[in-house]
Amino acid sequence: MQRTTHRLSFLGKIITFDCKRGTVDGERSELIFSSLLFERENNRFVKAADGAVVVSRKRTTHVDIVKCKCAIDVQKRVAAVYVLVKKKNEKGENFHYSLHTLSRSNRLEPCIEFKLPYEMRENVCILQGPTVLWSQAGNVFYTSVQAGEVRLIPIQLSSCVVGQPSFHKGQVFVLGVQNLSEQCQNNQCTSQTLGYFVDGGHVFDGDMILPHPYIFITQCILVISAEEEQGVLKSAVVVATSNQQLVYFENGIIKDICQLPFEGPEDIQMVNTGRNGWLFVIFFQQGHVCAVWKETFQIASHWSGISSVHVDDFLGCGTDQILLAFKDKGVTGPLLDHFFLTDLCGISYSVMHYATEVILTFQQNYLFTLQALESRLQNGLGVLQELQREVRVKERVVQESVQALTDVVSGRETVLSQPEQEGLIALWDCDDGSEGEALDDKMQNMPAESSKPQVDKLWHRITEDQLVVGVILTTDSSSQPLASVSLSILTETGQSSTPAVIQTQSQVFWLPEPCPSSSSSSSSASTFSEPAAKRSKQHNAGRLCDLNTCRLAVTAVTRLTPLLNSGCVKCCVMLHYIRRQDAVSLVSNPTLGTLHCGQVSLDIHNDFQTVLLKNPEHKTDEVKEDLLSLLTLLDHWVFHIDSPDHSLGDIDSWIQKRVGSKRIEVCPQYLLLNSSGPSALMLLHWHQITPFQGELSVHSSQLQMLLFLKSLLAYLPVSCAIQPAKATRRQGEAQLFSLALEKEVVSLRDSVSLLLCEKDEEEEKRKSLEHNETPMLGSVEGLQRCRESWQQDVERSKMKLSPMLNLGRYRSLTQSMSKDQLYGDLATLLEIQRTLLS
Amino acid sequence: MSNKTCQPISLLGKWVQENNELVNKWKLQEIGGNTSIPGQNQTCLRGWSSEFNKLLRKIQGVPPLADHTQLELSVLYNACVCAISQSQFTEAELLLLQSTERALQMTGNNTLASDPNVFWREVLKSVGNTALNVCIVHLLCLQWAIWLATCQLNMINDSQMDLSSLFETLGDGLGNNRRSESSEIPLLLMDTRKLVELLQICTLIAQGAERLSEGQSSEALTGLQAALSLAAPRNLIAYIHLLSGSCLAQMGRPQMALQCYRNALETDSQCVCALYQSMLIYRLLGNTQAEIEALRLLHSTLILTSATESALSSVQLLSPSLLLPSQSLSSLLSVPSALSVLHELAMRCVLHGRVSEGVEHYLDLLATLHSEDQHGVKAEVPLLPRLPELYLEAGAALLMSRLPADCMVLCDEVISKTLELLPEKLILEHQEERGESETRDVNDSVAVLLWAGAAYLLQGQCYAHLKDWKQAVTHYTRCINLVVKVCFKKRVTGFQSQISSADMVVKNGTDLCILKKLKGLSLAGRGISFTQTDKLKEALRDLQLSVQTSPECVGAGLWCGEVLWRLGRRQEAAACWEKTWSFNKESSFEVLPLYLQEALSGPLLDTMELRQRVQGLGLT
Repeated sequence: MQRTTHRLSFLGKIITFDCKRGTVDGERSELIFSSLLFERENNRFVKAADGAVVVSRKRTTHVDIVKCKCAIDVQKRVAAVYVLVKKKNEKGENFHYSLHTLSRSNRLEPCIEFKLPYEMRENVCILQGPTVLWSQAGNVFYTSVQAGEVRLIPIQLSSCVVGQPSFHKGQVFVLGVQNLSEQCQNNQCTSQTLGYFVDGGHVFDGDMILPHPYIFITQCILVISAEEEQGVLKSAVVVATSNQQLVYFENGIIKDICQLPFEGPEDIQMVNTGRNGWLFVIFFQQGHVCAVWKETFQIASHWSGISSVHVDDFLGCGTDQILLAFKDKGVTGPLLDHFFLTDLCGISYSVMHYATEVILTFQQNYLFTLQALESRLQNGLGVLQELQREVRVKERVVQESVQALTDVVSGRETVLSQPEQEGLIALWDCDDGSEGEALDDKMQNMPAESSKPQVDKLWHRITEDQLVVGVILTTDSSSQPLASVSLSILTETGQSSTPAVIQTQSQVFWLPEPCPSSSSSSSSASTFSEPAAKRSKQHNAGRLCDLNTCRLAVTAVTRLTPLLNSGCVKCCVMLHYIRRQDAVSLVSNPTLGTLHCGQVSLDIHNDFQTVLLKNPEHKTDEVKEDLLSLLTLLDHWVFHIDSPDHSLGDIDSWIQKRVGSKRIEVCPQYLLLNSSGPSALMLLHWHQITPFQGELSVHSSQLQMLLFLKSLLAYLPVSCAIQPAKATRRQGEAQLFSLALEKEVVSLRDSVSLLLCEKDEEEEKRKSLEHNETPMLGSVEGLQRCRESWQQDVERSKMKLSPMLNLGRYRSLTQSMSKDQLYGDLATLLEIQRTLLS
Repeated sequence: MSNKTCQPISLLGKWVQENNELVNKWKLQEIGGNTSIPGQNQTCLRGWSSEFNKLLRKIQGVPPLADHTQLELSVLYNACVCAISQSQFTEAELLLLQSTERALQMTGNNTLASDPNVFWREVLKSVGNTALNVCIVHLLCLQWAIWLATCQLNMINDSQMDLSSLFETLGDGLGNNRRSESSEIPLLLMDTRKLVELLQICTLIAQGAERLSEGQSSEALTGLQAALSLAAPRNLIAYIHLLSGSCLAQMGRPQMALQCYRNALETDSQCVCALYQSMLIYRLLGNTQAEIEALRLLHSTLILTSATESALSSVQLLSPSLLLPSQSLSSLLSVPSALSVLHELAMRCVLHGRVSEGVEHYLDLLATLHSEDQHGVKAEVPLLPRLPELYLEAGAALLMSRLPADCMVLCDEVISKTLELLPEKLILEHQEERGESETRDVNDSVAVLLWAGAAYLLQGQCYAHLKDWKQAVTHYTRCINLVVKVCFKKRVTGFQSQISSADMVVKNGTDLCILKKLKGLSLAGRGISFTQTDKLKEALRDLQLSVQTSPECVGAGLWCGEVLWRLGRRQEAAACWEKTWSFNKESSFEVLPLYLQEALSGPLLDTMELRQRVQGLGLT
């Protein structure tokens, strides 16, 4: 046992205990106490009382103080000071323990005495009662005035922790680990935490106070409250662990932690500083002390070189203060002459030889407030500067636009130098409209021949309850392209002679010439080869319609069951088409045509379970027909994916990596995804427009489409937007509108200039005839002639301003103008319908 | 009493819940709103960081348990992400290594390798194919991010092979394991697949920039080309195009470089550097019109971007700018300030014939400088010449565009400011080492003298333009008086002697050169003015001195001949002309400042007429 001075604080006084051999004859050993009181005026502790009691009269007994503590005497319902003294005879085996109390009259009186065959070392506590509790070799013993004898707790606990709630909020309990031997097979729960209420005597689950892993690392504990409310145990506990952490538990849940700066916590006390909250003061082994605020769980302050720390109301002002007694070399007297008394909220008295660090949290608060205000100011300044900058930019823009406007209004040309007009960096490729024009001209110049389209093949497929009939056509569409093409199926219902048309849905597919398709990877492969010439021809893959011959596939789908009213049904397939006179004219007379394609026979006895696209990697006609049937059968969606901030990456390869995806060799732009399920075929086509935009065309059932989109969305960058589009963008359709407008403007310009040019030619002829004579100003005739020629000039200029036109020519001009305008209006309507209303 | 077997799990469960709550709150905040005040982002981040750190400390306060390892590693990941986003790289790395070691004590391996590469490899080996493998790979991603952010590309290069194969498995594995979204799995703050993508792209960019700065353009190019197929944010793709352009420019393919720069601008219109680089290429190719257009665009873009830089995004974890701090990259991406660009633009306009635009730009520049002075904002423009020189250049431009009155105003300004600072006598030491681009101190008396001299010269030229010959002569005289104040000393070993300036060997761009040119031009101007007022003797004296001083001054030579002709000394005149025409110019005119161009010096003589005279003389 160390010969440390045993001190405690009680009712605002510091009481020191010591054991001493008597001075008179060296035989008696005495237990001495002295109590000190703080004198505020003189800033020191003065002796208030002292006394002694004889503990043993034999010389050979070795007397020592084990512990001194303030505890509650349950019988008298007051708090009192208790000191536990041990006596050992040199010769004997037993240890005698006696608990003395300091009475109000400043006299030490014994209250409990007991004898033990061993020395108590672990977990020695003086608890309310008074009760002395200790643990020895896995057992916990206790004795009290009520018990009268040494008792044992019924359960075996190791790694014990004793908790006594402060402020009488609960009962004393012991927490410990009980090893379960055969109960569970798992290696993990070989032990559990149990708790035992000493007074009530019943066992409870220790996890309600402290989670199991913490029991092993708890070094000291402060129980704020541990009460049973309506059968449920509610507790608030602060624990200092061997991992240098202070942990606050409420009902067994970790609420807060604080990292402690020192190791080896020995004791935790609570300080009530009144209005400013509560503090936890932790005393460490090497003489360190740390104070932590309860509300914020931040370290308030720390000290070193402390021999003992006490919390009590030393000043008598109603709140607690912390008294730190410093270790001094060579001073062993009971008088405290080197101490520090504070409550970290403004009160501080010290007698010290050296200064220690004190971080006042209030100063810190001021600092934080200042910093916050400063940053607020700076933010405001920043905002102000931004606004100013914006205003400057707006002014500049307004100025420039005003300049441009005034130039326009006053008829001045805005001065643009030649380079400006040309443009330095062409950020857009010039789209060439001349190609299209050339096309048009070519088309218009070919002789108008009406030729029927040729049927190459007729096929049909049956899946589930739908019948798909398809026709592949070749048509010469250079002069008169086909505009709406559809199929219809007629059955001959046995009795009546007129065939009935069955409800079908028809679709048209333009078949490209088999050309090596440049897939979407062209964007990355050719970045560093020579750049394409600016006026490049339109890429072939985009234009599916060749100039001379077109191959079309037309399909029709219908429900199967109405057809199967007899054993064998023969259906006729009819093709309907409309020809136009030229590619871009919409008002010309359409010619309707029909064509009998062939017959399809269905036999109910045949096997109807054809699996489409079994082998997509083959390049046969059958696969092509399967593909077209699937394209007709499945629902079709087109999605436009736009990612403004983030490039899309390689979506094609992502799709390909998905389970069960195969590329269809016949038409390599399509991918077949075959996930499990009956109607689970999915055809996908991904077209990358720019690194940031792409178009996804999906043919599948709705559920499959939604599932696929969900997984795609998980893969895409966050800022992507997927929008459904009605159909894939075709260049031809957009061009129709622009071509119509262009045609209108050009025809207006040409015809009017033609008309006026003719007038000018006549004028020129007349002028050249007349200007042969130079009038002489001298004579009257000369003057007259001058006057006449001047008048003629005047009239001529008047005529120029409002020329006379040939009526017939004017009429034809207005007629062609109105036709062009009508055509332009129609194109506009179509465009609106295409983009907005559909 | 609750079942004992679920005791560890309930603690774990609570911690998993806490972690997931924090992550969900973060995600809500991210989607919810953009904070507009810049300071708030940092405090927000700090708040989250402290929350995660606290949770991590709670978990680490308990001795390591096998069940807790996955949770611990996930919370570690979250905490490190917060730390890295706040640029606390060393703390994050330390935390990462220590916590990984601690967590792996559970698997029984104490790997204490000091080299991080070896450490991670061993860790991965020890973890094997367990569920912890994924967690460790996530942490390795963070280590990668730290290496990138602290420019330790060599570490990345060493472990390149491991990294790329690891992340392949990560990318595949993640897609399939999305099903189990029960509350048992601790959520991660930043999606690892996106993190890996970002890291890959940033690594490729950083490597490309390094190689480029070391001169290995072709390797850099191949690396950057590979990077284009990855998914990346827009500005990073613009960087890739930009760097590819720089590689191609270094490899001597300027047209391809221009294409790349165009792609960069198409991708991201904020990428001003692409515009700047293409301007440089146009300058290299000698396409002055394109260069001037590029300068103009660059200037307007810089003005606009500085005004609209208030676009602050929400709190972003691990933004690309955090991961790409390397010096070489920032030097490749540097763009001069708006004012320098404006000055450059003005000078180019004037030099290449678009004088009126040049004048406007000069006036803009001066106005901007004045307004900035008034606001007290210190504009750091280290590359801009001093204010008097700008005034003189603007004045010269004004004179070139036939606005002599305005030019005189500017010159008056310069003179009035420098009047007090003029020295009485100046001795200049001939220093060989003096560079051209030294910034001149205001106290530098040579500079002041040159400025004042040039101002007088310009004023004289203005008066000559206005045909006010008397005033012209006055001002030319003032210039000459200033110039002769300078004496030159040559340091010959042993003794010093004062040698007149005419005997010095001239180096381009030095003060000596400018002085000589000043002298030559002013003498020529005065001579020409004398000629116009019929004071031929003085004219001759001046013109001869001028020709002697700066023989490249063609106008002086021709006028000298003219005066001789008028004085009747025709043979000498012809000889003089012949000498002038046969003088071959050295290519040193580029270095002289704008205001010493010969084009301003007064009325010109018709060379054809003079040749006819010579021929006529030859015949007689």
